[in-house]
Amino acid sequence: MKQLRDVRELSTIAILIVEIAFFAWYLRPMDGRSHPFVNGANALLILKYSSIYGIAAIGAAIVIISGGIDLAPGAIIALTGVVLGSLFVDSHWSLTASALAAVAAGLACGLISALLIVGVRLPPFIATLGVMGIARGAAFIITEGRYFDVSGGLPAGWRPLGVPLDWTSPLLMVALALVFQVLMTKVQWGRAVFAIGGNPVAALYSGVRIELVQASVYVIAGLLAALSGVALTIVQGQGKADLAMGYELDVIASAVVGGASLAGGRGSVLGAVLGALIFGVLRNALPQIPGATFYDRLIVGLVVIVIVVMDQLLQRRRA
Amino acid sequence: MTAAVEFHHIDKSFAAVAALRDVSFAVERGDAHAIVGENGAGKSTLLKILAGSVRPDAGELRIDGAPVALAGPRDALSRGIGLVHQEMLAFPNLSVAANIFAGRERTGRCGWLRDGEMRDRASALLARLHLSTSPDAIVDALPIAHRQLLQVARALAFDCRTLALDEPTTALTSAEADHLFRILGALRADGVTIIYVSHRLDEVFRICDRITTLRDGRRVETVDRARATPDTIVQAMVGRALEPRHHPIADVARAGTPLIDLERLTTDCVRDISLTVASREVVGIFGLVGSGRTGLLETIVGLRRPTAGALRIDGRSQRFRSPREAARSGVVLVPEDRQREGLFFNFSLRHNLALPAAEASGRWLVRGAERAAARDLLRRWRIGSATVDLTDAAPDVLSGGNQQKVVAAKWLATTPRVLLLDEPTKGVDVGAKYEIHGIIREVAAGGAACLVVSSDLPELLTLVDRILVMREGRLAGEVAAETATEEQVMRLAAGAAA
Repeated sequence: MKQLRDVRELSTIAILIVEIAFFAWYLRPMDGRSHPFVNGANALLILKYSSIYGIAAIGAAIVIISGGIDLAPGAIIALTGVVLGSLFVDSHWSLTASALAAVAAGLACGLISALLIVGVRLPPFIATLGVMGIARGAAFIITEGRYFDVSGGLPAGWRPLGVPLDWTSPLLMVALALVFQVLMTKVQWGRAVFAIGGNPVAALYSGVRIELVQASVYVIAGLLAALSGVALTIVQGQGKADLAMGYELDVIASAVVGGASLAGGRGSVLGAVLGALIFGVLRNALPQIPGATFYDRLIVGLVVIVIVVMDQLLQRRRA
Repeated sequence: MTAAVEFHHIDKSFAAVAALRDVSFAVERGDAHAIVGENGAGKSTLLKILAGSVRPDAGELRIDGAPVALAGPRDALSRGIGLVHQEMLAFPNLSVAANIFAGRERTGRCGWLRDGEMRDRASALLARLHLSTSPDAIVDALPIAHRQLLQVARALAFDCRTLALDEPTTALTSAEADHLFRILGALRADGVTIIYVSHRLDEVFRICDRITTLRDGRRVETVDRARATPDTIVQAMVGRALEPRHHPIADVARAGTPLIDLERLTTDCVRDISLTVASREVVGIFGLVGSGRTGLLETIVGLRRPTAGALRIDGRSQRFRSPREAARSGVVLVPEDRQREGLFFNFSLRHNLALPAAEASGRWLVRGAERAAARDLLRRWRIGSATVDLTDAAPDVLSGGNQQKVVAAKWLATTPRVLLLDEPTKGVDVGAKYEIHGIIREVAAGGAACLVVSSDLPELLTLVDRILVMREGRLAGEVAAETATEEQVMRLAAGAAA
């Protein structure tokens, strides 16, 4: 089991390396100028923006492994940003208190999804579609079309916990990825998530606390989307209601490219984060290619299909 | 001495259908107790009550003499009751060790998994069951028989004192079943109580001390094995004596013209298959799991592409690209897995029954005619009863045997010339089996050619005219049903020297 999963993450890493090598070659500078793609500042930029997707993709991977789907992350990210901005800018709360309140709002969204899915027995697609609308709507109601300038209120040269600001969200992503990777592979709860996704009926008869585990999965996804929202608000310096439009699908794509199967039971948290990095590199490099701007969504779509088809072919050969 | 398990005046209904009515009996500690009955008699419901997944409407369940109200499967497990399900309830995505401990993992602080400890314990259990599988193997890659034994390993891992098994041998070959019976014998020697549900009376008589018979949700009798014979049990199950079947009318069959004619047919799972089946003939195919039996039927109806060889139906060369094309030429396959391949659980029985005939004929559905045809089919196949009209009911109100009858009925409604059946009586009780056999013979007598795949050897010997034996994708031999013995067929299938 361990070997198989390692192989799957290695192939995601291999894709990432090939991708980076390709852009390093394609975007090589003509004369003695510095490399536009391979340099420290650009790497940090990629990490910073990928981490927004990466943090939420951890939650998406967990939900997908449990056999579910979560459409709410994008809206939760926006709601979190708006709550944070409104409390910090309008109500003059401290940054910590505003961030905690924002995370609580994301948790509440996850909890509503969980209650609808476990309590009311709505299909996850419908339940989270509804929560997506509610969260996005709440964000618009709070802002009334304005946006909150968070960056103006941040102290110059601010280093949260002694970490440079640009580094906080990549480091948060790495820390969360490690924590949830361990939870998913080394702890009973994670085993239960895999079991429910693999065969829900067998899980019931095996005495797995299906409802509790299922609920926890959506609450965690809400929490991670909220953390991603806090990170994005601080990175971009503003909270607004149309933030992170369509991120839910990018986040799902990251998890799937990282090996998660929408049929449930298969996938990995580390893979999802690597998937987010694959897209992060694409989003960073494509605009640097002259004339490619209009093609970048198309290329992102093709990449999802190619990687998943490759994965299926590999699996078929293995079987 | 108190009973290990006692059912006390249990009632249970699903919607308007009474599944169990006033059922009382006790299973003594250390006994092997069989529960037999036709499909729909209430056996599975009784086991579900024991496993905690269904709660009785009235009456109580007593464990070791004390009344209990089980909150769920988890509760039943913690009271030492293990259940081996008819359907293979495994986690295909997890390792063998993770499957064995699913839901009740060995953990340290904060739920930290003790993988090493579980792997060691799993290895010990696998050794006890004489399974050569590694505890790290992914279940997806295991043969079906191993998955069944994995469920036994699961129950053992929780030190269950009562092990209930629901039709555990349906997917097993006889050697694998023997293996299971040896294990059950060893468990009894360790003091484990066994509750055994099966349609196969030879198994029941082989391993059980006491036999409880259910019919229509009521308990008919509980008797000692010594005081029963298979005939008396069958009578108690069906409430009437079954006439012995006449032997197939082989001479009539041979007079027919060949309807199926395969010549060196080869696909990804079968090689060089040449055979003919004549009109009015019933031919059986026997083989162990993995011998390519199902693949052969799938090739004929176009689910698999032949890479070489020829397929002729009624003298005309055919190469079907889909079951739809095959059905339009009068060739139909009644599949093995009724849950997955046979029924639409979102449709009423009426729609289920009408679909193949409508697709094969290319006609639009006509509501009135459809209803009348469905009602007629249900009556002919004795599904439901004179008082209960099930045409608008969904398939899940039916028992497994009746579901199987619906699958067969919907295909026979197309009046096929070539009928392919894959395990038509898998998990079906004697009464329904008897009816299904009768209908297969009737279809053949009407001029069709029938090819029946079954792993139930006694069934094939009574049902068919000839038996073709497959091994590793090839035809290993042919025997006439009249003269064949079980040993002879098994030797061919297993590849042992004759």
